[in-house]
Amino acid sequence: MFFTKRRIGAMLLLAFCIAYAMLAQRIPLLPFQADSAFHARTMPEILSILGIGLCLAMIVLPSPAEYVELKGKSWFTALAFLVLMSIYGLTIRPFGFVLASTMLLGVGYWLLGERKIWLLAVTSIPVAVAFWALMSIGLGVFIEPMPWFLRG
Amino acid sequence: MLEGIMIGLTTALNPMNLVFVVCGCLVGTFIGMLPGLGPMSAIALMIPIAASLDPSAGIILMAAVYYGAIFGGSTSSILINAPGVASTVATSFDGYPMAKQGKAGKALAIAAYSSFSGGVIGAILLLIAAPSLARVSLSFHSTDYFALMVLGLTAVAAFSGQGNVLKAMMMTVLGLMLSTVGTDQTQGIQRFTLGMIDLLDGISFLLLVMATFALSEALMAILRPKAMTDEERRKEQEAHSNLGSMKVSKEEVKELVPVVGRSSILGFLVGVLPGAGATIGSFLAYGTEQRLAGPTKGKLFGKGSIRGLSAPETANNAAATGSFVPLLTLGIPGSGTTAIMLGALIGYGIQPGPRLYIDQPDVFWSVIVSMWIGNIILLILNLPLIPYIAKILAIPARFLLPLILFFSLIGVYFVSFNTFDIQLMIIFAVAAVTLRLLDFPLAPMILGFILGGMMEENLRRALLINNDSWSFLWERGLTLTILTIAVLTLVVPMLMPLYQKWRKNADRAGEGG
Repeated sequence: MFFTKRRIGAMLLLAFCIAYAMLAQRIPLLPFQADSAFHARTMPEILSILGIGLCLAMIVLPSPAEYVELKGKSWFTALAFLVLMSIYGLTIRPFGFVLASTMLLGVGYWLLGERKIWLLAVTSIPVAVAFWALMSIGLGVFIEPMPWFLRG
Repeated sequence: MLEGIMIGLTTALNPMNLVFVVCGCLVGTFIGMLPGLGPMSAIALMIPIAASLDPSAGIILMAAVYYGAIFGGSTSSILINAPGVASTVATSFDGYPMAKQGKAGKALAIAAYSSFSGGVIGAILLLIAAPSLARVSLSFHSTDYFALMVLGLTAVAAFSGQGNVLKAMMMTVLGLMLSTVGTDQTQGIQRFTLGMIDLLDGISFLLLVMATFALSEALMAILRPKAMTDEERRKEQEAHSNLGSMKVSKEEVKELVPVVGRSSILGFLVGVLPGAGATIGSFLAYGTEQRLAGPTKGKLFGKGSIRGLSAPETANNAAATGSFVPLLTLGIPGSGTTAIMLGALIGYGIQPGPRLYIDQPDVFWSVIVSMWIGNIILLILNLPLIPYIAKILAIPARFLLPLILFFSLIGVYFVSFNTFDIQLMIIFAVAAVTLRLLDFPLAPMILGFILGGMMEENLRRALLINNDSWSFLWERGLTLTILTIAVLTLVVPMLMPLYQKWRKNADRAGEGG
C-alpha cells in the first residue's frame, strides 16, 4: 500500500511547506534589499526549498510498511476535550477564573468516566480556588476570579 | 575554578534555592513517573513558575525537575514496565523482570544509587569540561556559530535512528520555519503574521512546548484504548503492593562499581554530543555491559540482571549532565530538554555561550553545583519515599489527565493573559497529535525552533562581515571543519545500511565463487 504513515505525514507537511513558500514570497522587501545576499526572505526561501525537497524525498523513497490505525481510539472523547479547552479559552474572562476552571476540570473528569457528582465537585472546585489563591496571593499574579455578574 | 565553585555553592546552598531543589526533585519525580510524561513536559510545566524567580533559582528548579523526572521515569519502568521517557526504556529491560521476581525494592534502590553515581560523576566531568570548552569557544566567530548550529541540528536528525533521519530532518526544518513567524528582528518586517496582531511577536516558545509536549501527551493518553489502561492499572496495583527488600548486598555493590564507572563516562561523552542525549547513552551502556559481561552473565540480561539495570540508569543521568556542556559553553542545546532550558534562559535575558562563564558566573556555577546537590537530595528523598511515591501511580487517569490539560493551559495563559494563546495552543496540540500518530518526532522541531532565530542572526552577521559573500562557508578552516562533520554526521548513518548490504552481497558472491 502506498499510504504509509511516513508518506501521509510527508504529504501533510508538503502542503504546509508549499503554503509557507507562497507566503514567503509575500514578505515585503525594501528596494535596496532585493539585491543583497541576505534579507527577510532569505531564511524562509532556504527553508521552503529544504522542506519541499525533504517531503518529496519521503514520498518518493521506499517507506517502512507502517500504517495508520484509526480503530480502537477514543476519538470522540479527544474531540470533546478540544472543544472543552476551546470553550475554556472563550469563557475564562467573562466567567472568571474559578468558575471557568471548575467547569473545565469537572467536565474533563466526567468525560473520562467519573460520574459521582460529589467527587466531581471535590476534585475540581478546591483545585481552581487553591490555584487562584496561589497565583494571586502567593505569587502576586492577579486574575479575576468572579464571573462578570458578580464583579463589583 | 575554586572561586567559581564557591560562587556556585553560595548560590545553590541559599535556603530558598535548596527549597527549590527539593520541590523540583519531588515534582519532577512525580511527573516523570506518569507514563507518557517525561522531563520535557515536566520542565515545560515548570517554566511559568521559574519565570517568576531570579535566573539562578529558576534554572536550579528546572535542573532539579529534570533529574527528578528521569528518576521518576525509571520508577514507572521498573514497577509497571511503562517508561515515562525513551531514556528509561533500557531500564525496563531488567528492572521490570526484577519487579516481577519480587525484587522491586532492590531494583528501585539500585536505580537510585546508579542514577546518583551517574549524576555526580557526570557533574564532576562537567566541572572539568565546561570551563575549558567555554575558554576555547571564546575565539569562535559568527560563521563558526552558524556551522555549530547546523551541526547541532543535523546531529539530532542523524541520531534519531534508522529510518527516522528524513522525518527528524523535516521536523527540524518545521521548527526553523515556525521560528520565522513574527516581526523580523533586524529589519522590522512582518513575516507570516497573516495580519494578526497576536502573531507580531512570533510564536511563544512556552506555548509551543506546552502544546507539543504536555497537551499533546495528555491528548494521546485520552486517545489510547481503554482496555490498555485497565490492564496497566491492574499491573500497577500488583507492582506497588509488594516492593520487597531494598537492601543491596556487598557482592552486588562490588559487581556494580566498575559498571557505574564505565557507564558514567560513556553516558557523559554521549550526552555532550549534540542530539545524542540520554536515550542513546542508556542503550549504548546497556549493550556495552552485555558484551563485557561474558557468556554466562550476559545471558541474564533481559531477565533481571543487576548490571543490565545499573548501566542504563547510570548512563542516562550522566548523559543528562553531559548535555549541559554544549548548552552552557556554546549556547547550543544538546537535547530537546536542554533546548527548553535554553528557551527559558533566553526568556531571562541570558544568552548562554562562552560569555556566560565570564559575565554571569553565578548562573554558570550554580547550575553545576546544584547538580551535585540535586543528586544528593534526590537520593535522600527518594530512597525512603519510594514506597509512598509508588502509590502515586494509583491516581486514576480520569483525574490526572484533565489536571495536566488545566495546568498546561493556565501555564501559558498566566504568562501572556491572552486568550488567543489558548486557541493557538489547541491548534498546535492537534497538529502535534497528528504528527505523533504518524510517528514524526517532535523534539527536533523544538530544537529547530529554539535555534532558528540565532541561526538566522549568525548567518546574517556572517554574510555582512564577508561583504555578502557565502565564501565563509569554505574559506574559514574551523567553519569548514564543523560543516564537514555536520555533513558526515548526516550522510554516514544513511549510507551505512547500503554499505552493509553491499558487503553482505560481496561475501555471498565470494562464497559462491
